[in-house]
Amino acid sequence: MFKMENVTVQINEKFILNNLSFTVPKGQISVIIGESGSGKSTTLSAILGILPALATVEGSIFFNGRNLVALAKQDQAALRQRHFFTIFQDAANSFSPTQKMKQQLYGLTALRMGQTMAVFLAKMKRIVQDLHLPDDVLERYPFELSGGMLQRCMLACALYLEPAVLLADEPTSSLDMLHQQEFIQQLKRLHSQLETTVLLIIHDLDVAASIADFILVMKNGEIVERGQVTEIFEQPKHPYTRQLVAHHF
Amino acid sequence: MIAKWIGKRVIMGTIVLIIVSFLSFFMMHAAPGNPAAAYYGGNAQTLSTAEKERIETAFGLDQPILYQYGVWLQEALQGNLGYSAKEGRPVATIIQERLPNTLQLVVLTLGIVAIASTWLGIQAGMKEGSLLDRGLSFVSIASSAIPPFWLGILFIMVFSVQLGWFPTSGMKDVRGDGGLVDRLYHMVLPLSVLVLSHVGVFARFLQENVKAENHRYYVQVARANGVPERAIRKMVLRNAIIPYINYVGVTIPSFFGGSIVVETLFGWSGLGQLLVKAVMVKDFPVLMGAILIIGVVVVFCLFVIDVLMIFLNPRLRRGGIV
Repeated sequence: MFKMENVTVQINEKFILNNLSFTVPKGQISVIIGESGSGKSTTLSAILGILPALATVEGSIFFNGRNLVALAKQDQAALRQRHFFTIFQDAANSFSPTQKMKQQLYGLTALRMGQTMAVFLAKMKRIVQDLHLPDDVLERYPFELSGGMLQRCMLACALYLEPAVLLADEPTSSLDMLHQQEFIQQLKRLHSQLETTVLLIIHDLDVAASIADFILVMKNGEIVERGQVTEIFEQPKHPYTRQLVAHHF
Repeated sequence: MIAKWIGKRVIMGTIVLIIVSFLSFFMMHAAPGNPAAAYYGGNAQTLSTAEKERIETAFGLDQPILYQYGVWLQEALQGNLGYSAKEGRPVATIIQERLPNTLQLVVLTLGIVAIASTWLGIQAGMKEGSLLDRGLSFVSIASSAIPPFWLGILFIMVFSVQLGWFPTSGMKDVRGDGGLVDRLYHMVLPLSVLVLSHVGVFARFLQENVKAENHRYYVQVARANGVPERAIRKMVLRNAIIPYINYVGVTIPSFFGGSIVVETLFGWSGLGQLLVKAVMVKDFPVLMGAILIIGVVVVFCLFVIDVLMIFLNPRLRRGGIV
């Protein structure tokens, strides 16, 4: 479904990702864990094609049999637009401060699908209710909503689009404990409803353990260990994984 | 809420005008020379000391400066700006004749500068690294470094003297009917000088804002999620235009400053030219009146900018700042 093959990313002759290879199983929640600077976010940027201009990419990123790296930029964008949705870490800054949520969520969902505002409102109002967001959330500006509400708005976009792949970079790191749990529950619900393939980058091992089907452990731009949650947390093989798990639990 | 805010702005504007008039009045009197000289006309050499004293007493120039200012302010608040020391006509009438000419020049300049700099700033800012992006920086430095009077002289030499395309000065042709076309024809050179000396700096300011906005987190999120570029552009512009409009607001006085030089150079019969002539002959009532009116126009423009800010920035509207 989704496969990275020998992906190497260099910025200013420094290796950020080094011969990275892994497969994200279809319909499962895969989580990448690892310390800061291990290359987790760069992996996501490479998948999304939003690496800095100075970066060079080698290797292949396959989605449904098509190599994203080999495609023209326009085709890459079109493919991502059709099948991917990404939730980023900083919910508070993920929206323009001067536009109402209605316009911004419309831009992130219906507009890219060529749908009208009326169609968007009819569907989005139901989703917003399901996610227990305030009734007038679409009429509010981002600064009138909490970080948790904004992150749920991103989740609302994913529910609207029903993407084949949902990517998320530390989606819970800016949320408090209560909102973290709420977000995880809703993400799980989305996954079970739509059978979306999910790739998460998560720093917090508790959160990773509570949501993941499959775990990838990253260090210095490489995957050092991969496996089911129980394998990684109960019988870690790589010394780095053992260290991570030992320090955490 | 809005009425309270408007009330506050009106009070602040009035205080600004009083401070401006106070400083202008005292600076004029601190300048070398006798303020009564303008009343002597061409008879300064022939007037006796007693006659000079009589003139000073008649116009209250023998009173303390603070008292003179108080009298002027009291009259000005009632709409009486006094009489020109040089022409003997009411200052309000003289200003009424001149103000529309300056406003024509300044408003047209502001309009053209706003449209041109917005277009250039967006195009250059959205296409980072392009020829336009790099070129605009150069044009901006050149545009702000070349003094308007030099550019004006150059334009007169090239377009009036050598090519003969436009008149060297004046507001209407002596043989013409003084209509709109004739007025615009005479306005081309002064307008071009004012526009060229402002447009680069304004465009550069917006260009930098667009670039900064284009790198903001929410733009990366939108781009990564396939939001159409047209929608992203709209979002970027909406945020980049707020500091730009503020910048336009605070630089409005420089348009009037620029018009003083340009009006004098091109013989444009506006407030700027009037101010220069009044300074030459120490016509203090006219000077004070013109400064006050320019102050009122600037304060009004800043008020309009503040109102625009409220419409453009929801934080001001919804954040309870207003």
